[in-house]
Amino acid sequence: MPCKLKEKERTGVINPIFTCQPAGAQYASIGIKDCIGIVHGGQGCVMFVRLWFSQHYKESFELASSSLHEDAAIFGGIHRVEEAVDVLLMRYPHVKVVPIITTCSTEVIGDDVDGVVNKLNEGLLKEKYAGREVHLIPIHTPSFKGSHVTGYDVGVEAIIKYFAQKNKPQKKLNLLTGWQNPGDVHTLKHLLSEMKVDANVIFDIEEFDAPLMPDGNHIAHGSTTVEDLENTGSAIGTIALNRYEVGKAASYLKEEFAIPTIIGPSPIGIRNTDTFLQNVKKLTGKAIPPSLVKERGIALDAITDVAHMFLADKRVAIYGNPDLVIGLAEFCLDLEMKPVLLLLGDDNTTYGNDPRIKALQENVDYDMEVVTNADLWTLGDRLQNQGLKLDLILGHSKGRFIAMDNKVPLVRVGFPVFDRAGYYRDPTVGYEGAMLLAEKMANVWFTDMEYTKNKEWLLNMW
Amino acid sequence: MPYHEFECSQCIPERIKHAVDKTKNDLTEALPLGYLNTIPGTLSERGCAYCGAKHVIGTPMKDVIHLSHGPIGCTYDTWQTKRYISDNDNFQIKYTFASDMKEKNIVFGAEKVLKNNILEAFKAFPKIKRMTIYQTCASALIGDDIGAIANEIMEEMPDVDIFVCNSPGFAGPSQSGGHHKINLAWVNDKVGQVEPKITSDYVINYVGEYNIQGDQQVMQDYFKRMGIQILSTFTGNGSYDDLRAMHRAHLNVLECARSAEYICDELRKRYGIPRMDIDGFGFKPLSSSLRKIGLFFGIEDRANAIIEEETKRWKPELDWYAARLKGKKICLWPGGSKLWHWAHVIHEEMGLEVVSVYTKFGHQGDMEKGISRCEAGALAIDDPNELESLEAMYKLKPDLIVTGKRPGEVAKKIRVPYINAHAYHNGPYKGFEGWVRFARDIYNAVYSPIHKLSLVDISKDKIVTDKSFVTRQMLSDSQLDESILNSKELHEYTGEFDSLKRLRGRKYPQYPMKGKLAAI
Repeated sequence: MPCKLKEKERTGVINPIFTCQPAGAQYASIGIKDCIGIVHGGQGCVMFVRLWFSQHYKESFELASSSLHEDAAIFGGIHRVEEAVDVLLMRYPHVKVVPIITTCSTEVIGDDVDGVVNKLNEGLLKEKYAGREVHLIPIHTPSFKGSHVTGYDVGVEAIIKYFAQKNKPQKKLNLLTGWQNPGDVHTLKHLLSEMKVDANVIFDIEEFDAPLMPDGNHIAHGSTTVEDLENTGSAIGTIALNRYEVGKAASYLKEEFAIPTIIGPSPIGIRNTDTFLQNVKKLTGKAIPPSLVKERGIALDAITDVAHMFLADKRVAIYGNPDLVIGLAEFCLDLEMKPVLLLLGDDNTTYGNDPRIKALQENVDYDMEVVTNADLWTLGDRLQNQGLKLDLILGHSKGRFIAMDNKVPLVRVGFPVFDRAGYYRDPTVGYEGAMLLAEKMANVWFTDMEYTKNKEWLLNMW
Repeated sequence: MPYHEFECSQCIPERIKHAVDKTKNDLTEALPLGYLNTIPGTLSERGCAYCGAKHVIGTPMKDVIHLSHGPIGCTYDTWQTKRYISDNDNFQIKYTFASDMKEKNIVFGAEKVLKNNILEAFKAFPKIKRMTIYQTCASALIGDDIGAIANEIMEEMPDVDIFVCNSPGFAGPSQSGGHHKINLAWVNDKVGQVEPKITSDYVINYVGEYNIQGDQQVMQDYFKRMGIQILSTFTGNGSYDDLRAMHRAHLNVLECARSAEYICDELRKRYGIPRMDIDGFGFKPLSSSLRKIGLFFGIEDRANAIIEEETKRWKPELDWYAARLKGKKICLWPGGSKLWHWAHVIHEEMGLEVVSVYTKFGHQGDMEKGISRCEAGALAIDDPNELESLEAMYKLKPDLIVTGKRPGEVAKKIRVPYINAHAYHNGPYKGFEGWVRFARDIYNAVYSPIHKLSLVDISKDKIVTDKSFVTRQMLSDSQLDESILNSKELHEYTGEFDSLKRLRGRKYPQYPMKGKLAAI
């Protein structure tokens, strides 16, 4: 079989592709309006994740910590959650939703976060905050399990489980987006609006691209409301785009509320966007309008300009979140490119059952490796020591040195992208995303041709 | 009482003693509390003791495999989030290593996994023979004996050396706890193991310097021009084996006394090496620092020659900016030592008014130094949280804040420009040229035409329509005195984008050794 699925051979990690679960739950938390999550752990578990978001977005997001210190490691730190909730609610009167996100330390200590939430609900909230709408949601994300991808999945599931209600009057489509950028959410909302479909977008993070205004403090935050979250239990259908990031929540809604549910695909590339629109049509009965036929045509026209002349047979490696990596690989194949190395950064043992990976194994006619539990040295080692030849790398900014040192141009995509400006605004989904991706790959390749004098004269006439 | 009560923190009474308004009176009545446990839920800016040890102090060491024993997040977070460069192609920035502890390791222990990891890492980078290993919350709680594993490996592989730092995230109120732990661990475990080659009569360790954007390389240039041998730098651009030879220096030159005074004090106690606190920021503090070192070794003439040359070269550029920054209000909100390194000198040399100082992880002593050096009326805050910072900015209306990356974004949203105090905008900021670069960055932020546009509401304000552009100088020079405007001497910064370029490959004077120390 030319396409091999394997696990990284080393036990340790050299240059991680992924971070840990609490970071994922924190990314879910900032998607909700009037919400500040409390991370139950050391200060670093929050400070660095806030920095991570800030590096990607050039914005600051609000997240709190229970600020675990040495005494808590010995005597337990659950009282610090109680104090954190009180301090947070006193000082942020608009806050309604408070996810309480655990970490490795507090899971090892065995702090009973569910118990303390019950205690707070019965005590503090009734006594001191009577009449105030407050939702405390425990999210268990020990850092030694899964990755930020599963942390996001577990986080969204806990939030949906907490809020989703039957018999709400609003009957919309649930769109569980998975880990996206504001540009993606903008594009997804645009596609739905062209089809005249109302959706509960979980999470609507379009306003992560926050303005600098002449007055007020327009701090970046998500716009998904408590009402949107409650409505998810009464939806006419659920589309969950990213299997590994919102699959759990989608399955819960399906089982608990018998909501017709379609999980996947991530609408990356023309073909996957076609499928997405068909799925929307199937669940809502709405027609695909001529405007989208035209939008698709514009993208195809642009992609045709770069595909066989420039992108064909270019060998690429792709790393990042699994749904993104698989979606990108599929799109690259449509573009006549050769994804030769796919790196998935956690030890999820179910990747082998993914029909998309099986399809690659059945149909790819050249040597391709899909490595799970991978790190960036999986790529660096192949390039430096094993003779791997690549034309392009697709992935986030953490791979910048591996790309630079091996002189392979890196097309920034995924999370985080901190070494290019404004990339969070560019979609990777939808027809527009497909067009932008193809053009970005071509443009990065062109720049490389020019600076390495690799047939740089070719573009003299195009 | 001069305690400053934040409206947003009235509901947490213990915060009252963490902020003061500096009065003209005795400082002792006005010192905020410091280095106490963080109040949960406040949105403090502090990090953890693991990052204080690993990210701040450990990782700037350049020829070392830096491995964290724990789940992946700690490693991921402390990778590519700082700008400590090196002259060996930035190995310490490019590569990071994690034992990637999983659930089964938490249950059954992860010592075997760690051992595998160490072997794999040395195998992947066969030219690197040195390693540091950092404990994290998870590996501390399960009680893995990292030291024992390191010793096992060192017995099996005699050509490698491993340093272990046990400073889990929860070990202290802030990153400062980690600074302390790694200082002591290094002096206890590693100093005295290597005998260096002494090549000068004047030998120093350069301590508490992390080579942010090349600060260490700038200072090293001055020391080399004075004929001083820098035995080691703790730790920016520093070499592991050089740092094992710290005990042979004649003098410890200490830059960041917050993060690295511990090792200097231990070296003084154990090896009798004197500690000299210096300051590489600002013309006057830097000049007196170089002179002080010169005086110690009896080579003041060499220091004076450098001071004269550099001042002549760069002072007209500093003064160009100072004339334009006079009276601008600044919140000086760094992490630790820059609080007092900068508090007086940005006033004296750039004309800025320091309206507030704060420290995220400093101790009371740091505050004491900072408050004593800034102007009366300044607001001093210990372990500030986000609402307090916002309240302070609304009240003080600074023209600029100097702080970290993410808090800088908070300021941006309420239209206050910021300069990165930790990683710098376009550093290095140490050295004579560096100080001009800092002034240049401040000037650029304060007089940014785009920033001025952000203050205008096009829906209701009067909009100037006869100007299609504005330059920084149109903004800064409109009220300026003729004598400054027409000065032939003052001018803008003329250095290059990469100011380290001209230092690379530079030839230094050879001073023959006189002392007997060559024999050591």
